[in-house]
Amino acid sequence: MTTQTRPLPQPSAWSAPFWQAARNRSLVIQHCTACGEKIMYPRRFCPNCLSEALEFVPAKGTGEIYTLTTQMAGPPSGFEAMLPYVLAVIRLDEGVQMMSNIVGDGALGARIGDRVTVDFVAVEGSDTVLPVFRLAEGRQ
Amino acid sequence: MKKTTAAVVGIGEVPTGKYPDRSELDAALTACRAAILDAGLGPRDIDVILPTGALASRHFNVDLVFSRLCEELGMNRSLKMNCQVMAGGATSSSILAVAEGLIAAGMARRVLCVHSDAVGSLPKQAGIDLFATTGVSEEWEAPYGHNMNAVGALATQRYMHETGTTEEELAAVCVALRKWAMLNPHAMFRTPLTVEEVMASKMVATPLRAKECNMLADGAAAFIVAAAGDARAISDSPVFVRGHGSLVTHYTLSQERDLARLGFPEAARAAYAEAGIGPEAIQLAQIYDAYPVWPLMSLDGLGLCRGARAGAFVAAGETAPGGSLPMTTNGGMLSQGHTGVGGGIAVLVEAFRQLMGKAGERQVAGLVNAVETASGGTWMDSHVTILSREAA
Repeated sequence: MTTQTRPLPQPSAWSAPFWQAARNRSLVIQHCTACGEKIMYPRRFCPNCLSEALEFVPAKGTGEIYTLTTQMAGPPSGFEAMLPYVLAVIRLDEGVQMMSNIVGDGALGARIGDRVTVDFVAVEGSDTVLPVFRLAEGRQ
Repeated sequence: MKKTTAAVVGIGEVPTGKYPDRSELDAALTACRAAILDAGLGPRDIDVILPTGALASRHFNVDLVFSRLCEELGMNRSLKMNCQVMAGGATSSSILAVAEGLIAAGMARRVLCVHSDAVGSLPKQAGIDLFATTGVSEEWEAPYGHNMNAVGALATQRYMHETGTTEEELAAVCVALRKWAMLNPHAMFRTPLTVEEVMASKMVATPLRAKECNMLADGAAAFIVAAAGDARAISDSPVFVRGHGSLVTHYTLSQERDLARLGFPEAARAAYAEAGIGPEAIQLAQIYDAYPVWPLMSLDGLGLCRGARAGAFVAAGETAPGGSLPMTTNGGMLSQGHTGVGGGIAVLVEAFRQLMGKAGERQVAGLVNAVETASGGTWMDSHVTILSREAA
């Protein structure tokens, strides 16, 4: 049996600044300078007004868990050694949502509505840095 | 209320399960032939074939696109169009809507819709990895270990959080579906199942256990849609397409902002209005499942539980054989088996079978009106279709 490595993001021309920011331990989202829309994940143009005048702005890096699951078995290829891992949809304080992992102290006991703070993990053997989330102080 | 334009006049299906020695083509042809014969038609009576997409074999999928079925079924130089329709799990409702539209526009009179696939014969990990790409963003979700069982789990957690549904109630959905599947010779799983057995099965992605995750299977089904005005001359039990409502809510699950409802309330309102048939007149619910949370969410959106919480309604046996609202009497993907796009097609074909009075041991008595639902990918869309033995 061949061991497949986990899938890594292949940045597009318009998402590359997001992944570059992650390597600098910064979480950024897009902001439309035409209509004010806040956007995550990065898009080619604004999904609200179709303007191409988008800029990346730093996010606070805080939010709450909208939903989550702990993967215990049957993971996709490349994630076998990570079991159990916590997959979550985070609603950032800016109002936008993203998928991520909950890591660190208390992650396996995390619940919907818990406050979380961004952290960054380098994926071994690559130049990818993934934004992940830890439970905020007081919920560990 | 809309004037009825289309009716289903014939159905065909092969048993669902693991059939490594049965090719997708063999299964497709068997199902098509059965549907044409069920309608009492011949191959040159069909003017359009709408094949669904197939996932396991790229070669077979290309055959579907390039008119192989037309030639194999003896329709060369009589068929007007062969055109693939693909919307993942929502292909069932979508393909029926496309067929109905072609007929309503006068562009077709007899449309053959067909699905065949062999995702059940893929190696287990290949199946997991295939379905970890169907509506999962390669850039924004896959790097975190997202996959189809997690899709079901993430929705289940949010639904439980908002409604108070319990793990035992989720298990009860699987049990009710199994009771129907035990009466379905085409179902993959036909042995008795209890809530305790579901709860004792291995945890896969919290709160979903192994017996709450569908099993991939091989299968094929076909049906023929005809102009409503021709239907009674073709069949003595035509099923009229009365109304359809739908809403696309997302591509990636992580962008969905109402994961406990999706678009089912909006889709149901539109479908009931078009049909002139309300929830109080629905006697059979053919609900796309795949994981137990989706039937519960769909029942809520459709307003079929008479004010009860869907989880409590199902746990009380209301949707099982003998209950007040028979639901997914083929056993759904959780018990008949998940054939990819065909999981939804089997749910839809069972609605036709029941309304035609051809459901054998599991036939629902006195049936006039049924509702069917579907959703594709990571529940990207919410479809509701109203079907009836009576035209409007």
